Amino acid sequence: MGPLIPNGVIGGGWDFVIAILLGVAFGFILEASGFSSSRNLAGVFYGYNFVVLRVFFTALIVAMVGLLYFDYVGWISLSQIFILPTFLGPMIVGGVIMGVGFVLGGFCPGTSFTGIAIGKLDAVFFAIGLYVGIFGFSLAFPLFENFFTSGNLGNVTLTDLTGIPAPVFAVIFTVVALAAFWGTMFIEKRVRKNMKQYKF
Amino acid sequence: MNRNYILLTVLMLVLAVGTLFLTTDDEPKQIAPEELLQEIIQPTRYVTTDQVAKMIIQGDPSLLMVDVRPAAEYDEYALPGSLNIPLEDLLNDGNLGYFGVPGIKVVFISNDDIRADQTWVLTKRLGIDGTYVMKGGLNKWMQTIIEPAQPNADAPSVDHELYAFRKGAQIYFTGAEAATPDGDNVEVQVRRREKTNVAAGGC
Repeated sequence: MGPLIPNGVIGGGWDFVIAILLGVAFGFILEASGFSSSRNLAGVFYGYNFVVLRVFFTALIVAMVGLLYFDYVGWISLSQIFILPTFLGPMIVGGVIMGVGFVLGGFCPGTSFTGIAIGKLDAVFFAIGLYVGIFGFSLAFPLFENFFTSGNLGNVTLTDLTGIPAPVFAVIFTVVALAAFWGTMFIEKRVRKNMKQYKF
Repeated sequence: MNRNYILLTVLMLVLAVGTLFLTTDDEPKQIAPEELLQEIIQPTRYVTTDQVAKMIIQGDPSLLMVDVRPAAEYDEYALPGSLNIPLEDLLNDGNLGYFGVPGIKVVFISNDDIRADQTWVLTKRLGIDGTYVMKGGLNKWMQTIIEPAQPNADAPSVDHELYAFRKGAQIYFTGAEAATPDGDNVEVQVRRREKTNVAAGGC
């Protein structure tokens, strides 16, 4: 049956409607998970709050395992879904920049808007910086355009690269994620014991 | 420990391990619907009963006749040298291995076109080339080869040639009707010469 739009189940005009609904749901979940607080978000780097890791890892393994089951029962065809192309070097550099920005600013782009939604001043400043950064990136783009498009591996998946079937990765990721959930719970307890005061 | 966390952890683990047992790869690969449609409207997917008869008579080694009727009907009557793979068993027991061999023409035969056509579509969807349908099936075979109708005297000569071929094929497939009776059953009629001059009188 799925994907719905490529298979003509619903018209192409629906993609904006779906995007808005998904955006609202995403924002709600981020806020409800406590992602509008930069202390919570930065906590993952200091070891006192791993909610970021837990929420994103949960979303990842649920979506991953869910898609495999959906594909099996025929609700979505995994061969038809869009796979983001991989640019190995640029993605690693981009990830490092994102992580540094995350620990410096206390937000990632999406969470800064949930912070604005509940009136956080630091989130407003982060979003201003975000737009300045986008502007700067656009102006400076010709300088690193070659690097930006280098190392293109195409629309590959781990299964394409290694030949190992997708369910094996699903199990490995799930086990790692669950181990991380339990492991970080103990780390949190230890670190928080030594903290004098912590308000979420 | 929160009991919910333990429960959710176990549930997630079971679901993830469950994905290892999902088998989606054994689904047969299919050709695109557009391609299938293109193939379906080609008249070349049919062969006539005359072509089949000719190939049988000539002993064409590239011909593989596959009778797709149920086994009971096949036992009752079938073309000589045809192989029985009922439509229902098409995908069983490696039957597909007979098809798609380069240089082999597979001709599907049923009572009419319908079952043979269904089989043809199935094999085509699986991307198998070199399969054909005997147009009209065994009904047509009976009408044209086993009991060919004699064309009118004023019919074109090709019709008469075709009729001559069919008549020959009829003899090939049904056996020529014996013109002379068997030796064993011949009743020798002894005709005795009538005695004409018994007591006919003196010289």
